Amino acid sequence: MVDKVAKILIIDDNRDFLFTMETFLKRNGFATITAEDGEKGLELAQKEHPDLVLLDVMMETLFSGFEVCKQLKLDPGLKDIPVIGISGMGDELGVGYKKESDKEYFNPDEFFEKPVDKGKLLAKIKELLGQ
Amino acid sequence: MGKKKHQNKGERSNSLEHGSTKVPPDTPRGARELTDLGYKAIIDLLPCYLTIQDRSFQILQTNQTFRNDFGEAAGKKCYEAYKKGSETCPSCPVAKTFADKKVHIGEETVQLADGALAQMIVYAAPVLDAFGNVAAVIELSTNISKIKEMQKELTFLGQSIATLSHDIKNILEGLQGGAYVVDEGLKDEDKELVNRGWSIVKKNIAEVSSLVRNILYSSKKRHPTCELVAPEALVREVVGLFHEKAKSLNIELKELYNPRLPLVNLDPVAIRRMLSNLIWNAFEACENDREKAVHTVSVRADFYDGNHFLFEVEDDGIGMDESTREKLFTDFYSTKGTAGTGLGLLVVHKIVTEHGGKIEVFTRPGKGSLFRVLLSMRQPRNL
Repeated sequence: MVDKVAKILIIDDNRDFLFTMETFLKRNGFATITAEDGEKGLELAQKEHPDLVLLDVMMETLFSGFEVCKQLKLDPGLKDIPVIGISGMGDELGVGYKKESDKEYFNPDEFFEKPVDKGKLLAKIKELLGQ
Repeated sequence: MGKKKHQNKGERSNSLEHGSTKVPPDTPRGARELTDLGYKAIIDLLPCYLTIQDRSFQILQTNQTFRNDFGEAAGKKCYEAYKKGSETCPSCPVAKTFADKKVHIGEETVQLADGALAQMIVYAAPVLDAFGNVAAVIELSTNISKIKEMQKELTFLGQSIATLSHDIKNILEGLQGGAYVVDEGLKDEDKELVNRGWSIVKKNIAEVSSLVRNILYSSKKRHPTCELVAPEALVREVVGLFHEKAKSLNIELKELYNPRLPLVNLDPVAIRRMLSNLIWNAFEACENDREKAVHTVSVRADFYDGNHFLFEVEDDGIGMDESTREKLFTDFYSTKGTAGTGLGLLVVHKIVTEHGGKIEVFTRPGKGSLFRVLLSMRQPRNL
């Protein structure tokens, strides 16, 4: 039996980053869907039910990455989808970041800092997908 | 123990204004004369403000340094003399000293006689009577405005470094990502992919060079070097540099200027930098707006009123909400997600301030923004 190709949703307001990640993931055997803002990202998540979400937590859009993560984790149908947060802010991880998840705030399952180490990212994606 | 120490201090200070002290025989001449003046004269000369206050904060005595900067104040309340206010300060060290007989330290912002504000570190020490009760409080204030300014600069530097590293990381991401796409394109001999990757690389090179220019500009303490220039010529020169980038982003770049504008004393290097940053900013606002396929950025130079002219950069990009607008120039606005933002507007603010001008921002989320810089047409040659 052939393994089903895992589908990854990339949410980032930077088109170049979207294109780079899309190229990278496709070339490593994944299917990708992309959204340029949080609202569209959530819609796509509900419609397409991806296997993993790659999320820029520092988007300049009204619906921030952290808010998208919260909505994903609060949705019973989506909460088990692993989320990898990406931030350019380093240790502070940006505005809106808290160390611990609570009722109001949900951390992504993993964080990656820009510039993203593609090898490590690939390993982490495979780990989260149980591959 | 502590109490006894303060009591000693209090007793000593109680007798300060009476008589002088014994001078050791080998005291140098100048110092001997000073000591001969007596403690009162020395206290008058102290390079800090000294008052003695009663329980109702009424000033009983002041030293000369105080009178020089705050005027006569005996009989006035402390907060009237220091702050031209009518209420006690929220965390008054004098009140604390009256309450517990201990020395207290606080920080206050006061208003000097000439209206200027100054930040003070305030020490309050008790003057005890024969029964050990606080009869009065000596309040000693030192102007620490300069230290506070340095502290602010250091905080600013810290913020700047944090924001810069964020910007640089984003640019690095772009460069690495672009290079990866080029590599993959070369591997597959896919010319389209190579071109796409290369355009990402070039865009990020442009961003890093703009960032470096702004870092250099904001780090140098430069004084504007003015010469008589035509504002519209500056607009034409700068806009000319952006036509190619505008085309690649599907932006129609318009330049509008009033040819009747007079020659004005301006620092042309600084004004070019300012216009570049505003245009760069407008382009980013358009790029981030996905609602429209084509955008317009207009750059204007025109009369404003009889004394002022304006530079305007208007876009129909993503716009800003109120909280973003408010924070634009106050500090490094570090919540931005994309590269190259924050510092550019700070440099704009610096240049406008150096030219004694004013900057106005009109914006609506989803509609666009207008940055208007107002400058005097009668700028002096030396700003």
